[in-house]
Amino acid sequence: MLDWLKNINKEHPEFWKTYLAKFDQKPKRYVVFTTETSGLNPEKDVILSIGSFAIINNKIHIGDNFESILLQYKYFHDNGLSNEFILESKMKKLGEPEAIQSFIEYIGNAVLIGHHVDFDVEMINNALERLDCGRLKNEALDIDVMYRKLVDINDKQFSLDELSEIFKLPKNYRNSPSEDAYTIALLFLKLKKKLGIK
Amino acid sequence: MNTIAENIADFLKEYPPFDNLTFQELSAIATNIRVLNLDKNETLFQINDKLHDCFYVVASGTINLSVIADAEETLLNKCHTGDVLGLRPFFAKNNYMMTAKSREDSIVYGIPITTFRPFVANNPDVLNFLLESFATNTWNPKEKESLRGKLANDNVFNLDQKSEMQYFQSLNYNRSPLTASINDTAKDVAVLMTENATTSVTICQDQLPIGIITHSDMCSKIATGQFPLTVTMKAIMSSPVVTVVENISLAEAQLLMLKNNVTHLCVTLDGTDKSVIKGVISEHDLIIAQANNPGVLIKEIKRASSPKDLKHIRERLTELIQNSIHKNIPLSNINNIASEINSAILKRAVELSILELGSPLARFVWLSIGSQGRKEQLLLTDQDSILIFEDVLPDKYRDVRDYFLKLGKRTTATLEKVGYELCPNGHMASNILWCKSLTDWTKQYDSWMNTPGENSNDLSSIFFDLELVFGEKKIFEAIENVISKNQEHNSLFFDFLGNDALRKNSPLTFFKKFALEEEEPYKGKFDIKTRALMPLIDGARLFALHFNIKGLNNTYSRFKQLAIIDSKHSDIYLNCAEAFLTLSKFRVNEGLKNENSGQYISMNELSKLDKEKLKNALAPMKDLEELIKSNFKLTQFS
Repeated sequence: MLDWLKNINKEHPEFWKTYLAKFDQKPKRYVVFTTETSGLNPEKDVILSIGSFAIINNKIHIGDNFESILLQYKYFHDNGLSNEFILESKMKKLGEPEAIQSFIEYIGNAVLIGHHVDFDVEMINNALERLDCGRLKNEALDIDVMYRKLVDINDKQFSLDELSEIFKLPKNYRNSPSEDAYTIALLFLKLKKKLGIK
Repeated sequence: MNTIAENIADFLKEYPPFDNLTFQELSAIATNIRVLNLDKNETLFQINDKLHDCFYVVASGTINLSVIADAEETLLNKCHTGDVLGLRPFFAKNNYMMTAKSREDSIVYGIPITTFRPFVANNPDVLNFLLESFATNTWNPKEKESLRGKLANDNVFNLDQKSEMQYFQSLNYNRSPLTASINDTAKDVAVLMTENATTSVTICQDQLPIGIITHSDMCSKIATGQFPLTVTMKAIMSSPVVTVVENISLAEAQLLMLKNNVTHLCVTLDGTDKSVIKGVISEHDLIIAQANNPGVLIKEIKRASSPKDLKHIRERLTELIQNSIHKNIPLSNINNIASEINSAILKRAVELSILELGSPLARFVWLSIGSQGRKEQLLLTDQDSILIFEDVLPDKYRDVRDYFLKLGKRTTATLEKVGYELCPNGHMASNILWCKSLTDWTKQYDSWMNTPGENSNDLSSIFFDLELVFGEKKIFEAIENVISKNQEHNSLFFDFLGNDALRKNSPLTFFKKFALEEEEPYKGKFDIKTRALMPLIDGARLFALHFNIKGLNNTYSRFKQLAIIDSKHSDIYLNCAEAFLTLSKFRVNEGLKNENSGQYISMNELSKLDKEKLKNALAPMKDLEELIKSNFKLTQFS
């Protein structure tokens, strides 16, 4: 409740100050992102990997991306889990502090896009707190909310698979957060046009 | 490491020109790719747009490339998954010369030119492919070899290649003709002609054409020394000029030239020499127009020596059909032309098989049945055919039959390569059931017609739409006689056919809504073939047989003929004829749009007006049904 009081006197890390300074300007790009987590509790669970792409001028820039596996050795150890999948993956591996810092540097002041993005933002916020940073300042859009707005349905949530099906996206076998992020990006482009968002 | 970039590289390496590059190179390219989402009918770029900094590869969906000429949009090419488009920025500096528009929801990859250029420079294969694609504007130029040799042609679209319907349509001619006045000297005019590289100059007074000077005038009057170089036009021009209206057809222009023994026609506003000049048609224009007409296609078919050649010609036929529908040429005309070309292809396919197998061991006839038999095959639908060979001595029978079965197999295989799918019911001459001697066929028709319903599960009414493709006309006539003899006083047979015709599901539901398909994969679509066209086709056949109309296989002309013979009900027949054309058009449009047989219409893509039109076209069917019910006793088989 009074968390912000705790933080008020703390000195934020340098990268966080740079991040905040970026908000003097209006955002020019969107960043689609998604996280893979150990569970659904933002307080207790941790981020295992992040995948994201930038959208500029209605185009997904494949090269403007960020993806990383977070090395959560402590969490794995505490919960007695195997870290085999981390070892097997070919993705870039970073410790949580480095990964979160790179991610913050990567997103800048972009508008964030995600599927049930509140949860992803909350996960990032909790990780940021551990780094003595404030909360994300970025505006965030949720494609599920956008879709429900488009069809005027309020009593139902749509999973990413359902949305891909509805918009007849070419099926691809998704197994990494980057692939999820790519699908979300395509859905976002479609929804954006249909809703007439500039 | 970028997961998606690798996925895209995986995708690209399947398609030219990217298949010439290594996976590492492709990954590097993929990293710089930008992905675009296009909704249906969204424009990617259009004529005169500034060049983009990238070219495009279709990741999913279809992009149509078109040009706009004379306020008409002409479709040049469809780009499917893996096709490359928008190559202009590689080779030219001026703005786009065509429009790229998505035909359905599509995703395209934009590859920045600056990223790709080094790979082009280092890899001659890639460069060649791009150059050829750019020049011919097809994704895989190797398939369209006839268009080769135009690599340096900056003109991306070459309208002449596409305008095969000009034979029926107006001509392309010089719409800004050179003019000179009556007092100009021969030398000045000759200079003018040379500078503009034309063969004629029209002599005008107050903008009205009063005479013409052509190459031959210059030759015969100046070069011979008959007149000096300084003579005025007044003395040497041919006058008056032959004037014609705009939009004259090729045939007309040809006739006028022959009749008046001239080489140039002057086009004026109202077709007389008392109105403003609009252009000049030269003999050369006629030649150009004629180079691309159905007659030429048929000639090419006769020379074709492989299935590949035939396939290429069939593709041009599709193009021709597409253009003519676009230009609102009556569907019945298109039908006639298309079926002529189709049967020429079938005929050539049989000939090619004979060339391979050696001359036939007996006389035979190859007949088309079904839609080609009715001359209604606009789209690439499946092939239906039968083969009848003359009776031979029993000891030779086996050899002869084996030969013709082989012939059937080879021919159907050729046709499959051309693009005609095999008949799912096996109604083909390669099937031992439908490749028989005349006696066997006579027996077959006897049993079908005299005891219909009994052991005749294999009786399909398409066996009564016959068209001679290749072989002995006598055998064909013999079997026609068998049919017409059998149908005399044969009410049983007609009742059976009548019943068959009525068995089709009704096109509208109880609430007058379209009866749409309820099961995937065609859910929500309207089956125009079985629900709307088949009842009309069956009805027309039934009455045509009933009134013993011979030689007319086409549903449209059958109805027309019926209206004359059975004048009591002529209204019904005429309505059906019109309805048939309307419905066929819907089907052809759908088929061309989706490159399939057009059997299932996507209702949600139709405009309100079109839906109404379609519904109206279904109305005459009801009357036809009633007519069948009142004419034939249907109870026997229900």
